[in-house]
Amino acid sequence: MNGAQPALRFSGLRKTFGAVVAVADVSLDAAPGEFLSLLGPSGCGKSTVLRMVAGLVEPDAGRIVLAGEDITAVPVHRRNLGLVFQSYALFPHMTVFENVAFGLRRRGVGEAALRPRVERMLELVRLGSLGARYPRELSGGQQQRVALGRALVTEPQVLLLDEPLSNLDALLRDEMRVELKRLQERLGTTMIFVTHDQAEALILSDRVVVMEAGRVEQVGRPEEVYRRPATPFVARFLGRANFFAGTVEKTDADAIVVAAEGGLSLVATARAGMAAGQRVQVAIRQESIRLGPAAGAVARPNRFAATVVFHAFAGQAHHYVVQLADGRELEVAAPGGAPALARGSRAVVEWAPEDVVLLPEGAGGGAR
Amino acid sequence: MKGGRGMGLLLPAMLLLLVAFVLPVGMLVPTSFRPYVPLVGITRGFTGGYYTRLVTDSYYLEIIGRTLALGLTVTLATLLMGYPLAFFLARTRSRWRNWLTLLVVFPLYLNLVVRTFGWIALLAQNGLVNQALQTLGVVQEPVKLLFNFAGLLIALTHIFLPFMVLVLIGPIQNIPRDVEDAARVLGASWGSTFLRVTLPLSMPGILSGSILVFVLTISALVTPRLLGGPTYQVMSTLIFDEFLQRLNWPAGSAAALLLTLMVLALVFLSGVLARRTGARA
Repeated sequence: MNGAQPALRFSGLRKTFGAVVAVADVSLDAAPGEFLSLLGPSGCGKSTVLRMVAGLVEPDAGRIVLAGEDITAVPVHRRNLGLVFQSYALFPHMTVFENVAFGLRRRGVGEAALRPRVERMLELVRLGSLGARYPRELSGGQQQRVALGRALVTEPQVLLLDEPLSNLDALLRDEMRVELKRLQERLGTTMIFVTHDQAEALILSDRVVVMEAGRVEQVGRPEEVYRRPATPFVARFLGRANFFAGTVEKTDADAIVVAAEGGLSLVATARAGMAAGQRVQVAIRQESIRLGPAAGAVARPNRFAATVVFHAFAGQAHHYVVQLADGRELEVAAPGGAPALARGSRAVVEWAPEDVVLLPEGAGGGAR
Repeated sequence: MKGGRGMGLLLPAMLLLLVAFVLPVGMLVPTSFRPYVPLVGITRGFTGGYYTRLVTDSYYLEIIGRTLALGLTVTLATLLMGYPLAFFLARTRSRWRNWLTLLVVFPLYLNLVVRTFGWIALLAQNGLVNQALQTLGVVQEPVKLLFNFAGLLIALTHIFLPFMVLVLIGPIQNIPRDVEDAARVLGASWGSTFLRVTLPLSMPGILSGSILVFVLTISALVTPRLLGGPTYQVMSTLIFDEFLQRLNWPAGSAAALLLTLMVLALVFLSGVLARRTGARA
């Protein structure tokens, strides 16, 4: 990001399928060695962007520049890119070794140079002894590692990953996440990772690109998009949050007061771009809310009396639904180590002004 | 328990196979070793003469060779014409797709005799094909297309093309597009992707389509009889004549058993081949 030439840049990418706009004007830069995630619900255009970069889908408009070279018109097989598919897409009629060797053979690498390179890659993805097997003889995780090795062995400038972990079961997925991240740090390959799994994107990425309806909603570091979502869509898509519609009542040097519909008064830390009378959406993440047993009537901002109406224990967290005095229900996630509050018990909820997310009404297209 | 239920499902087909195939063919075996005396009929005794004649007499060897050559060339021709067609039908997203498939199958709706007579009209000395060739100046004299190899090849290829196409469509559709895309991203050009990925993965279909067309061709009777005439024989017409013209059942049985043996050997061989390619695909 330090002004060096981006490993991959695409600008003004657009693709329509018939009347459906799959991708509308998407521009991005990926720095060398960066792990960039395209995150969004299915049908948001993230996979189409990836396939356009790979050359499998021809963009209607826009340019794709790989390390300074315009590859928009370069045919698929001459772009030096790696692509890992959700379905793994291994060659079923070839051994693991031949699968990994395929890209090198197409590049005219001689038999003598090829063997050690393939074997080193198989070691790297922990498949050293399985070279002679056929893909159908491998587990899902092993097949995924073959796909990774096959894509990485040609040393592509950029590795594209299209939901590579979605077909694995939960435990294996966690394992592969760690493995993938380590591999990326070790090789320094720029990776563009498409996923609909927000946790995956947050854990793996240097930067997350949140997409919706063919557009980029927000680009930022994981903490940025999570803590300071730019649009209601991003706030809703990343993590679970409680939403209030309201109007900015007053702003001063260190606080903004929002009058929420229904009479609650919410206090947020001061930030630029807010004026009294402005309509806003307020989002409060469920884990930002502190829940405690009913105590003395201490009047503090963002502190309200509540009744527990639902409780479930999920290991790492207690999930609650609490009802405020005005009948509004809030979702709360409390640390799993804390003692549980029984259903029906009186409680107080409280959250810090800096945890209040303010979203200007009508920002972005995602207000749903 | 599970195996028992599976056998139950197989039973009707097995019974049919037994009654309609194994028993009749089995009955041919003793017949094929009985001497046949003209004007007397099948006599008691034992002779292997009909088999020796089939595999030593040049007249019969030529017929066997011709049958096999016809089977191979028709298979190859339907494959070469059928694969691109099947590939197109398997991959096209055109809304005409179902109509196009119907068009491929359409010849099967016409009676075989009618189709064969159609080819006689087209391929005759003064038929449409020869007239066109002469008008275009490709040839001066009419080309002989009836009662020879060329005529049989053309007609049988036409008749069996739909079978090849129908068998090929499924396996080609089953090839995941991602796998082809993966090959291209890894640096394989379109042609290289086809040769190294698409074609090997089509092998199950190519194999079953080829067996089907080969077996249908070497056992076809109506078309070779009508387009080959009484003198240009293949094995099936030879068998027909031995049984029904010369009434020499033992000779006919021997030829029929040889043909059956050839078909069985082919099916067995292709089974081995399919296991070897199929094991990987």
